[in-house]
Amino acid sequence: MTRTLFIGLDGATFTILDELTSDPYGEGVTMPFLAGLIASGHKAPLRSTNHPLTPPAWVSLMTGRNPGSHGVFDFVRFKDMGHDVYFTLYDARDIQDETIWSLAGRQGRRIVSLNFPMMAPPPDIEGCLVPGFTSWKHLRRNMRPEGLYDRIKAIDGFDPKELAWDFERESKIGEDMADDEVEGWVRHHLPREAQWFRIADTLLEQENPDLFAVMFDGTDKIQHQAWHALDPALRPAEPSESWLRLRALCLGYFRELDGYIRRLVERAGPDAQVFLASDHGFTASPRVVRINRWLGEKGWLTWRTAGDSEAEKRRESANFAYLDWTKTLAFCPTPSSNGIAIRVARGPGEPGVPEADYESFRDTLVAELKEMRDPLTGEKVIRDVLLREQAFPGAAMGDCPDLTLVLSDYGFVSVRNVAPVVSMRATPTGTHHPDGIFIAAGPGIAPGASGRFSILDVPSILMHSLDLPVPRNFEGRVPDGLFAREVRVGPASRRMSAGTAAEPQVADEASEAEKLRILEQLKALGYLED
Amino acid sequence: MDLAKVQELVFEVVAGLVADWDLDAEIGATTRLVANLEFESIDIIQMVVAFEERLQRRNLGFEKLLMVDGRYVDDLSLGQIAAFLHQRLAVAA
Ligand SMILES: [Zn+2]
Repeated sequence: MTRTLFIGLDGATFTILDELTSDPYGEGVTMPFLAGLIASGHKAPLRSTNHPLTPPAWVSLMTGRNPGSHGVFDFVRFKDMGHDVYFTLYDARDIQDETIWSLAGRQGRRIVSLNFPMMAPPPDIEGCLVPGFTSWKHLRRNMRPEGLYDRIKAIDGFDPKELAWDFERESKIGEDMADDEVEGWVRHHLPREAQWFRIADTLLEQENPDLFAVMFDGTDKIQHQAWHALDPALRPAEPSESWLRLRALCLGYFRELDGYIRRLVERAGPDAQVFLASDHGFTASPRVVRINRWLGEKGWLTWRTAGDSEAEKRRESANFAYLDWTKTLAFCPTPSSNGIAIRVARGPGEPGVPEADYESFRDTLVAELKEMRDPLTGEKVIRDVLLREQAFPGAAMGDCPDLTLVLSDYGFVSVRNVAPVVSMRATPTGTHHPDGIFIAAGPGIAPGASGRFSILDVPSILMHSLDLPVPRNFEGRVPDGLFAREVRVGPASRRMSAGTAAEPQVADEASEAEKLRILEQLKALGYLED
Repeated sequence: MDLAKVQELVFEVVAGLVADWDLDAEIGATTRLVANLEFESIDIIQMVVAFEERLQRRNLGFEKLLMVDGRYVDDLSLGQIAAFLHQRLAVAA
């Protein structure tokens, strides 16, 4: 019997859902089932991780711990080797805290987990796991248990190429697109979601697990590129033909999604508790901030010229920094990081800031970033600069860029070498807002609406719904008044050791110095005792 | 592990990777990832993960194989990968 049904909606926001569950423009109610669920259940805005990005946020939702503890900060992981920086992808082995799949599994609960990021290579699980964000070429190997791929292949209409993640295509997020190109983009994501729904529906019926969790991420993809057709604040007074077509297409997506939610809730049955949450919300970003261009103009970063080979050209056009590492003191590794990594010299004459100058260099950088202005309007373009030891305290903090930028419009930075540093987009693009959504419904859930919950509360809520104790080291809580039943607190979740999670840092001098500095920062803030 | 054994392991892992890709390519020492097996960058990352999983080790230093003098290599043969892994495993043993 499925006790707990969790539906993740990547990037869902009440800015959009409030409209789609009512009918402000006479378009009809796009999501009538969700409207009913909210009316009978409990609703709250959900505050994301300090950097509201898909991998760290979902991993926090899965582990109950902030990114400084669980260790996943971005899609892309970088390793500074002094003369060069090596980029690769974060994966499941980098998660340094136990997930709720594992916690529930070892307490006798069966689980189905579908399409969550950072779940490949797949950890052992009591049930079924299909990772998200995995290319079709690698799906079979990355499912658990063995043989699941063939079961899924037998589902009518299954097409791995439609289902899976396409890195090349998804890297177009944030680029300016004409409305017809956006239409193609939205159309592409419709069958993808249908594929995930069919797998979800089949496995919910066949497995009937205690915890059934599926994530739909078309919401995020469509909102990134078609935000101007959805945001009530950007609704044109005189909509053009192409805008109306794009809007109708987007509403069509949400209507389908509403149907998927309805069928999963009905399939789970009247005894199941249902939870919906997003990893972050969405808002409009009208501005481009080219942060590496800015660092270059300040003299802290030096660009590299690409060679002629195909690989070199691919590398240069990739969405992460391509720099002369011998002459770079600070850089933003990827647009999604919104981060600046400060390089500390491994020794005299080595690239980077001398260890002794780290604090003053960082202070200068922060002060100058906070003063960066839009030349057209004079407005500040950076809302806040987060220091890693404040925003992401924990044992894994050393893998986080030293600074995380919160732009005034919540946009993602650009890492391209294009002038000027600050410019306006032709059309505002969708970007992540720190406030996502939380909805709960079903027996034992108190109806109503609350002020903001934290994304870290969701795993506590799911554990409680499964009638399991909430691990005492979970950073969130079960909000008062959400459940009728009293909350039990139990043993802490496990720390994943070096063997199962990230490799131990290579014990060279630089990483030792780096470790010491991080320990000092944590001590200064009272996170560590002397 | 001797070179022949490592080579066998490389063939097995790579054959497993490309099993569903609808390719006609043969798997052998001269098979090249990009030219023969249509690898893209993401496939190279997945291949590294597959080797790390197979060998139950993460610190194999694949960046040293993928980057030469700070430049990314254009293509790799399975023979080159096997030679690299053989040498890395010998160092670690
Ligand atoms: Zn997301």
